[in-house]
Amino acid sequence: MKRGTLTSYKERMVRVLEYILKNLDEPMPLADLAGVACFSPYHFHRIFRGIMGRSVIEHVRLLRLERAAGSLLESAKPIIQIALDAGYESHEAFSRAFRKKYGLSPSRFRRTSGVDCRRHGNEMDRLVTQMGQPFAGEVIVNVTIKTVAAKRVAYMEHRGPYNECGGTWDRFLPELGKRGLLGGENLILGLCHNDPEVTPPEDIRYDACVVVDDDFQAEGEIKVQVIEGGEYAVTTHFGPYHQLNLSYAALAGSWLPNSGRELRSAPAYEIYITDPEGTEPEDMITDIYMPLETSRGEN
Amino acid sequence: MPTMEKIDLFKQHKADYVAKRNPVLVEIAETTYLAIEFQGAPGGPAFTDAVGALYAIAYTVKMTRKAEGLGDYVICKLESLMWVEAGDPALVPKDQWHWRLLIRTPEVVSPQDLERASEVLLSKGKPAGVRDVYLTKLTEGLCVQMLHQGSYESEGDTIAPMTAFAEEKSLTFHSHHHEIYLSDPRRVPPERLKTILRHPVRPATL
Repeated sequence: MKRGTLTSYKERMVRVLEYILKNLDEPMPLADLAGVACFSPYHFHRIFRGIMGRSVIEHVRLLRLERAAGSLLESAKPIIQIALDAGYESHEAFSRAFRKKYGLSPSRFRRTSGVDCRRHGNEMDRLVTQMGQPFAGEVIVNVTIKTVAAKRVAYMEHRGPYNECGGTWDRFLPELGKRGLLGGENLILGLCHNDPEVTPPEDIRYDACVVVDDDFQAEGEIKVQVIEGGEYAVTTHFGPYHQLNLSYAALAGSWLPNSGRELRSAPAYEIYITDPEGTEPEDMITDIYMPLETSRGEN
Repeated sequence: MPTMEKIDLFKQHKADYVAKRNPVLVEIAETTYLAIEFQGAPGGPAFTDAVGALYAIAYTVKMTRKAEGLGDYVICKLESLMWVEAGDPALVPKDQWHWRLLIRTPEVVSPQDLERASEVLLSKGKPAGVRDVYLTKLTEGLCVQMLHQGSYESEGDTIAPMTAFAEEKSLTFHSHHHEIYLSDPRRVPPERLKTILRHPVRPATL
């Protein structure tokens, strides 16, 4: 049932939040966090980001900062020690982050017993209360579930920051084009192996793909793979590529918890409908495909 | 990331693509296009084949030149000229309409580029229609131009004020009706399709 899934996504996310709170000083691999609440590790970051509006790392930083604020008031520890406990490497970095959140320096905060600071409620309390409210519906997102066939694609691998993948396309498309493999109708897509928000830019893997027929053979830098078919949640992103993350977040944070569905552990992909060369950024159209687990027919 | 400067003819010749909701006069200088001709209804099989052949050549020529370091350019929007043997097109069955589909192309593109592109496309089993794509130059001169928003079927609503505007200025239509497709009909609903309509004019003879 839909109602049931929404509650279950919330309950599961609360479990994750509690786990983070209890393990603030431990390394927190995404796979462990996802495992706490049976989320697919593959897409966990997108679900977390979508529901919470921030990445796991940002969330952990925020909680550590709150704990540090408590220590400033309740202990006599040197500030540098509190900074180190909060995961900052220097007094300066800690002060900067602290000032950004509380509006004053850690030492002044301590001197004035925190009286002057901007009031920020306890994050965990607030989150759990918020969990009682519907967190979906704020972002309107049109999603349809499509059953799609497997796609055989020629691709060139891009390793590095997302915003530099244009360079890979600039090498890849002319190679295909001079072989007579491009018309105006090719399905052109990007296979996203990582989320740029949680993966160091240099480790991001993205495949620039063009659907090809069975005759096409891999050659040099151009390889061939088959993208699994099956059910996908599909939404259309209107606007520049650098805002695609907003549509991913809306899909994972707003639509998914209400959908009764789970994401499958396979990469998401983007189909580029418009040619970025002749199109203004605000007129660009991109379809986002997120793979779904086979429906168990519960609803 | 070193990217070569791209030629964007659509942006370089903004004045040619004035798209206002009332008719205006424009002066169109000589322009180079990739072109293909066919006869048939818009959206019909002949149309689809011609569009496919034109784009296949356009992309293959562009990408081959780019791969060889001969410079890069943006593939412009699809345009078309439409005419009938005689009479008012609205009264002629659509399967007798004549079309020349066009994609504006930099002058550096040569017939040899097209020749090579069609050979490589044919070797990949693409339809023989790619051989029918040719380079052409058009000099339309003085034209009445106006933005049409809506379905292609409703273009009459825009052609009427264009005709009245020409008459008011003692000008008369000659040569072919010209359309520049700003929207992708596969993704944009008919009522929001934007198309520039252009028609060459000359002083009306008394």
